[in-house]
Order: sequence, then structure tokens, then C-alpha cells
Amino acid sequence: MRLLPGELRPPRDEPQRGELLRGELLRAEIRKLNRPLSWGVAGAAALFCVLLAAGGAHNASLEGQSAALTHLPSCTQMGVPPGPRCARAEVLERARANQVREQPARTAAQLNPLAAGAEAAGLMASLPGVLALALLAGAHIGGEWSGRTVKNLLTQQGRRWRVLAAKLVSLWLAGVGLIVICWTALAIGGPVLVHLNHLPAPHQSVAHALSLSGSQVARALLVLAAFAVLGVLAGVLTRGTIGTTAAVAGAAIAMLVVASLPALGTWTPATWVQAWMGFPAGQASITSLPTNFWSRFITASGAAPGHLAGLAGLAALLAVCWAASVLAFRRMDISG
Amino acid sequence: MTAVIECRGLTKRYRGATALAGLDLVVEPGQVFGFLGPNGAGKTTTLRILLGLVTATAGEARLNGRRVPDPSGLAQVGAMIEEPAFYPWLTGRRNLQILAMFGRHLPARGDAIVAALDRAGLAFVADRKVKTYSQGMRQRLGLAAALMRRPTLLLLDEPANGMDPAGIKEFRTLLRALADDGTTVFLSSHLLAEVEQVCDQVAVILAGRLVEQGTTAALATARACVRAALDPADLDPALALLASWQARADGPDAVLVETSDGRAVNEALGRAGIWARQIVLERPKLEEAFLELTEPELTEPELTEPELTEPELTETPEVGHAPAAR
Repeated sequence: MRLLPGELRPPRDEPQRGELLRGELLRAEIRKLNRPLSWGVAGAAALFCVLLAAGGAHNASLEGQSAALTHLPSCTQMGVPPGPRCARAEVLERARANQVREQPARTAAQLNPLAAGAEAAGLMASLPGVLALALLAGAHIGGEWSGRTVKNLLTQQGRRWRVLAAKLVSLWLAGVGLIVICWTALAIGGPVLVHLNHLPAPHQSVAHALSLSGSQVARALLVLAAFAVLGVLAGVLTRGTIGTTAAVAGAAIAMLVVASLPALGTWTPATWVQAWMGFPAGQASITSLPTNFWSRFITASGAAPGHLAGLAGLAALLAVCWAASVLAFRRMDISG
Repeated sequence: MTAVIECRGLTKRYRGATALAGLDLVVEPGQVFGFLGPNGAGKTTTLRILLGLVTATAGEARLNGRRVPDPSGLAQVGAMIEEPAFYPWLTGRRNLQILAMFGRHLPARGDAIVAALDRAGLAFVADRKVKTYSQGMRQRLGLAAALMRRPTLLLLDEPANGMDPAGIKEFRTLLRALADDGTTVFLSSHLLAEVEQVCDQVAVILAGRLVEQGTTAALATARACVRAALDPADLDPALALLASWQARADGPDAVLVETSDGRAVNEALGRAGIWARQIVLERPKLEEAFLELTEPELTEPELTEPELTEPELTETPEVGHAPAAR
């Protein structure tokens, strides 16, 4: 401890301009996210996307081959008597066959570098995204208690809501970063997988691809904010790394379980996510390359909420979780 | 002069447990103030309340004249609460940068951090990750974090834990230099010898209440006693004679008298024709005074050790008080 004479006198009347530098807190939180766990989660997300795309491209290729060999069944083979019912059944079968035949092209379209943003957004706005954010929230928020560093932060910054806001925004930005990483991984890997699996060219316009990606990524931003605020609330309430991760993951699973209940489906956060993102419900969401891991758990029965209801529901969820987090954090004694 | 720290009836109750029970405390500026108490006495709770980490159940606390919690006032306070914790995957320097970004704007942040690291003796490992630091290094980093803003008040909770003897000595010098420069240092520590050497004043708390406050010398002097060595035959008359001071036998040929006035004891004995072979003023060290204050059930002979320097040299009736240790 070297003494530096003359340097020890404290500044008594320093200007307070820095008091308002809110961005500093956010920058500090982002710097803290530069840690092995964050890069591990990012790498795992990229790998997951590429492996999923590889499986999806392979599935699409197989479906394309089987569709080429399959003939439409006759009404007799379907057990439908001749007449109007037979005609309707044949139309449905033809549509299904066309859908299967077009699967390779659709998958190729999903793996287009520009359109892959929609796939990345769909994955991050569903179960893989919430699990990734649960891990990050555990380390980034709950870890402040487990590592006993929260007291350091609060002895520097006494306005607790600011600390929490910086945490929320940085966690949300980490989620956005995951979309970018997944999009990049799919944009690089997609064309290779399309080529290796001999998928047909999708004939997709650049404008359409960009519009699809832009729309889904923009929608995913709100869903990620909801997941992030869930992480903040879990962190504040559980005050530990493992507790936070488990609570967020548990809450996501609970949401999906509750959404599968016919009476409650429309009024649960999981359904709001589905509605806002425009994910097809139930079996309809299962395709060669799934656009999400969320809506297959939600039954297609009952009136699904529209985009606006989804937006309102998610916004309400965000506001309630944020208010609860701030209230709990402000009243909390920091004794660890 | 406005008190730097002022607590009035400060109370903190947790579920079923009282950590602070109406603590009254005033700390004047520009000194090193020792805050002592056994485990669970409420020292850390007091520090946490002062920093706004914990809300008091009742009473009030003021820092620099402003009632806490006072987020704006934190910029003038440097703190190190218990074992300091940092982000292990970041370097020491990056940890300080992050902490600096959290608080009020720190002008010339880079320079301030370099100066704080230098003062804490950590400049040579500033760019190593904290996970490679020893406990002593982490303590020093905690100290650097507390000093970074050049605070007017330093709140330190067991800051010398894990430091090597050389580090403790440097630390003591640093605290004195800070106090001499006008910074108030509020030091909670179990290293009573260190406290005795560095502190101007100490307060002792027990079960959440202040039991004593004063200079280290005054605290010890208040517990001083006079030991008079006598002929065994004079013991009983001497005990009767000195009963008004609360005297008791200390072996077959000595009495212990609870007063610091050796001259008066000698005079009283002399007037009765009892001549002491030796009169010694026994002044307990801070540690003994602390133990006496916090463990009242122990008997005094177990707590006091004679000062072997000045009293042993003399058989004069009056023994002067040793100068206050710093």
C-alpha cells in the first residue's frame, strides 16, 4: 500500500454530472456479460441451430423423395364412398401431398441466409431461448447474490432500480445477441446444408426473405424482453444462481403446461407468446425444420388470441414482472 | 462540527432476532474510529444500515449529516463490508472499472483506478484475473475499491483479514495517513492490537447496544487497578481499610484495588501504618478491556496482566499512566 502524499485528499464538492450517466451502468453490465458462460451459451445456441437445420434439411430431403414415389390414394383405398365426400377427400389428399412435395423447397427457403433470421428469432422466442436466458439470468442476476457482489454494486449505486434496469436491458441485449449469433450460424450453415441435401431452390425474393426475418426478429424482441424480466424477477426473488435458472426454466415449463389446459389456454403467457409470434399451434407447428419449440405444446382447440391480444398480454406480463422486481429489490435487505 | 456518523436508537430486528437494540453512536470527523464487539454484536448490521444495504426497523442514522439511506451521499463513502467479493473472471483493474461505472461519475477514472491500485499495493497484479488472487490480494482489491473515489468516510469491516504482517503494517500506516488528511475511517475489526495501535477512539457494542465509547487509553484506564504487595500479616487489615474501593486479595500477600489512583491507596495504607512493599498500577490492554466489557461473567484476575514496564521499575506510591498507545 504505497502512500501518495497529496493524492489522498478527497474531492469535497465535485460536480454531480455523472449522476445522470445511465448508460454507464448498462455498459458495466454488458462488460460483466463478457464471461465464459455467456460465450458457452452463445456457442451452444449456434451449434443447436446448425444441428437442427442439418436434421431439418435431411428430413425435408427424405420427405421430398418419398413424396415423389407416393401416388394419391383412391376413395376406395381411403374407404370413402364415391360422391361429394370422395371429391372433398381427394382435394384434401392432393393438398397434403403438395405440402409434402413442397417441403424441401420450404425448408430451403427457411435456410436462406436472409430468411434464416425468422428461424433464429423463432427459436430464441421459444423454449431454447428461454432456457438460454435462464442460464444467463442465473449467472448475471442470481450470481450477484451467490458471488456476494451485489453489496459492492449497491454501495456504489444506491438507486436500486437503476441497477435492476441495467441488468434487465443487458440480459435482453444478450438475448438479441443470441438471435444474431443463431442467424449468422444459419446463414453460414444453411446454404451448405441445402446443397448437401440437394434441396430445390426456393425461388424466394430478397424482399420477402428480409421482410419475414425482420418481422419475426422484431416480434422476438418483445418476447425476449418478457423472458429477461422473468429472469430479473426470479433473480431478485431467489437470490442465487441455481435458484434463478431453475425458477425461469420452471416458469417457462409451467406456462406451457398451463397453456395446454383447454379452459385457460387463451389467457396464459405461453399463448400470448404464440399469438404474438404467429406460431402455428399443435401439430401444425411440426414441420421438417420447426420454426419454434413452443407452440407444439399448445393445443390448437379453442379461440387463440390474435396478435394484438398477444402483444397486450406480453406487455402486461412485462410490466407486472418489472414492478414486482423493483418493489422486492427496493425493500430487500442485502445481508449476504 | 457535524458528526460524520450519527446513530440514534438504531434498531434492527430480523425474524425473531434483534441485531441492533437502540444503538446510539456519534463519530467525529478526521479520526480512525474503532468499532468493536463480539460476533453477532451488530457491527456489520450497523455498517450495512449506514450504507443503505439494510433498512433499520427503528431509529435513525446519519452520514455526513444526511439521513440514510442516502444514495447521493454514497459517492463520499468508501466501503469494504466483510470479505470483499469480485467477479473472478475479470481482472482486478476491470473489476474496479465496473464498480466505478456504477457510482457517480469518477473524473479521470483510469488515473483514479491506477492510483487506488497503487495505494493498495496491487499495481503489479492489476491485470491478472481475480480468480488467481490470494485472500490477502482480494482484501487489498477491496481496499482499492473503497479508496477509488477518495472518500471523506471509509467504512471498513475486518479489512485486514488474510493480510500478511507486512500488509497489515502498511495498511495501518495508510489508515493513519488518511485520517491525518481529514478522512474519517470507521474500522470494525477483531484485531484488537491493530485497533489499539491505529485508532483514536473506539466504541464497543454488545447485543446491539453501545456499552462504551472513548479513546483507547481512556477505555483501558477506566479499568485500571492498583496492586499492592504487602506482608501476609497486613492482608486482612488492608482489605478492611480499602473496602471502599472494592479491594480483594490477590494471593496471600497482595491486594487488588479497583482504582487508578495509586497515590491514594498508598496514602491510605501508610496512614494506617501498613507499608506496601510494592504498588503497581495495572492498566489492561484494549483487548483485556474489550473482554471485560463483553464478557462480564469472567473474573478480573483472569483478564488483567500487569504492565511489566513502568510499574516494575518503581516502588513509589504513585505510578503515572502510560501514554496513550497509537
